[in-house]
Amino acid sequence: MFKSIKYVLKENFSNLFRIYSIAKYELLADMRDSKFGIFWNFASPAIQVFTYWLIFGVAWNRKPIEVNDIKVSYLPWLVVGYATWWFIQPCIQKGCSAIFSKTNVITKMKFPVSVLPATVVCKELFNHGCMLIIALVTLFLCGYTPQFNWLWIFYYMFCAFVFSESVSLILSVLTMLWRDIKKLVTSLIRMFMYFSPVIWDCTFSSHVPFHEFLNSIMKLNPVYYIIQGYRDAIFYGQSVLDHPVYTLYFWCVVLVLFAIGCTLMFKFKKKFIDLI
Amino acid sequence: MAEYAVKVDHISKIYSLKNKNNQHKSNKRFYALKDLSFTVEKGDVVGILGTNGSGKSTLSSILAGISDIDEGSIEIHGEQALIAINTGLNVQLTGEENIRVKGALLGLKKKEIQRITQSVIDFAELGDFLYQPVKKYSSGMKSRLGFSISLALDPDIFIVDEALSVGDKGFAKKCLDHMMKLRDNEGKTIFFVSHSISQVQQFCKTGMWIEGGRLQEMGDIETVCAHYSEYVDQLNALKPKEKKKILNEKFEERVLPDTKQSFFSRLLGGL
Repeated sequence: MFKSIKYVLKENFSNLFRIYSIAKYELLADMRDSKFGIFWNFASPAIQVFTYWLIFGVAWNRKPIEVNDIKVSYLPWLVVGYATWWFIQPCIQKGCSAIFSKTNVITKMKFPVSVLPATVVCKELFNHGCMLIIALVTLFLCGYTPQFNWLWIFYYMFCAFVFSESVSLILSVLTMLWRDIKKLVTSLIRMFMYFSPVIWDCTFSSHVPFHEFLNSIMKLNPVYYIIQGYRDAIFYGQSVLDHPVYTLYFWCVVLVLFAIGCTLMFKFKKKFIDLI
Repeated sequence: MAEYAVKVDHISKIYSLKNKNNQHKSNKRFYALKDLSFTVEKGDVVGILGTNGSGKSTLSSILAGISDIDEGSIEIHGEQALIAINTGLNVQLTGEENIRVKGALLGLKKKEIQRITQSVIDFAELGDFLYQPVKKYSSGMKSRLGFSISLALDPDIFIVDEALSVGDKGFAKKCLDHMMKLRDNEGKTIFFVSHSISQVQQFCKTGMWIEGGRLQEMGDIETVCAHYSEYVDQLNALKPKEKKKILNEKFEERVLPDTKQSFFSRLLGGL
């Protein structure tokens, strides 16, 4: 197992330029496809956030979310959460077809297949950057000013990167073995969004039976850690040091996922061409 | 002592077959290549001949290190590259950008890409089309671009799979000339897969004839070519019914019974 982790890491780090170029030109090709190009990288997440805010924030009149006596109104709270989700969700969804969509490349040249999930994640990192700019603008408009604690975002971005990379490693290999995985993931990901604190805070109030138990179950979701981390950094003035056990739990989960992904990748690296 | 570029020892490649209803339940497996053994010296130019579906492309992808083998062993000394034409071209991007994309896909560093760009542009002779998106290209122009990028690589072993069959005569000749240079001046090992017997005869030193997944003959190019064209003529002269019978026999020879492997056993086996 350590051999496979070493193999995947080595292949990824020795091909950094390849990963960068593939991600860059895929983005460029996407932009060329449409007339307004990069405009859509900003517009589509903005429209989505606007929709959620209109329905949940305005129409259903959500109250400000309060943690540690700090109240945050719904719009800034949502924007930050959605910015994170806008990174993780496409990584998982497109990660499924990371290898399969590059069929014409891997059948025709000697290619380090294990870098493909990383190219997808890097590509989405760019979109995440666009979305973060939108989020920052919204925050300024709501009267927030940057603080040093905001720099924790970069740590949580790294968490999200490693988590997405691990998940897409696993899913990309499984999709090659079993094409149904992709459809399964596409259907489940919407459900997954509601089990993550993207548009609601994932806490059941006290009238729900077993609410304490349910709330801890929700926390087992690694995405909970990432999204909540972004918000902690921006609104609640907290950092990783405030919940060390949860951090440890998150990294254990991610490392296990990464190890599984590497093992699968290492085992099937020569077989992909026959599985197409 | 002659040094070997490629040493292949009793290799086989097996594919599983689907039955007529497109399900994986037929329990049939199929030898794409069966018990091949040969050695190729450094600097040799091997022409691979064979009718459609006899395993030429499978062999070339094995030699290129893309595909894995099921039985036997293979030793390759040196870097190998499959010259593929249209792969890795992104149709939304311009020709110039595609040189960079494909260069990166092939694993070149930034400086190396800058170094080869001019020679690729000169070789492809695309003129101002270089700055147009590749989706506007004709198929001949696409293959010019793809082929030029592939040729800019500098591996020890080239594998050229039907790459010269597209493009006009002038460009095909240019490519052939370039490869002759590689053959004569730099002593590269080249595998050349083509259906054009005249090209193979002109270019290769050694011939390899694969029929039905087996190595039929390997030796001097003239003899192999003569035997191969004789065989093709013979096959064509047959009545349709007889021909079908022969082809069916050939097919049955390559099929082997299989124990079915489920998804989970494939996933868990060997973990």
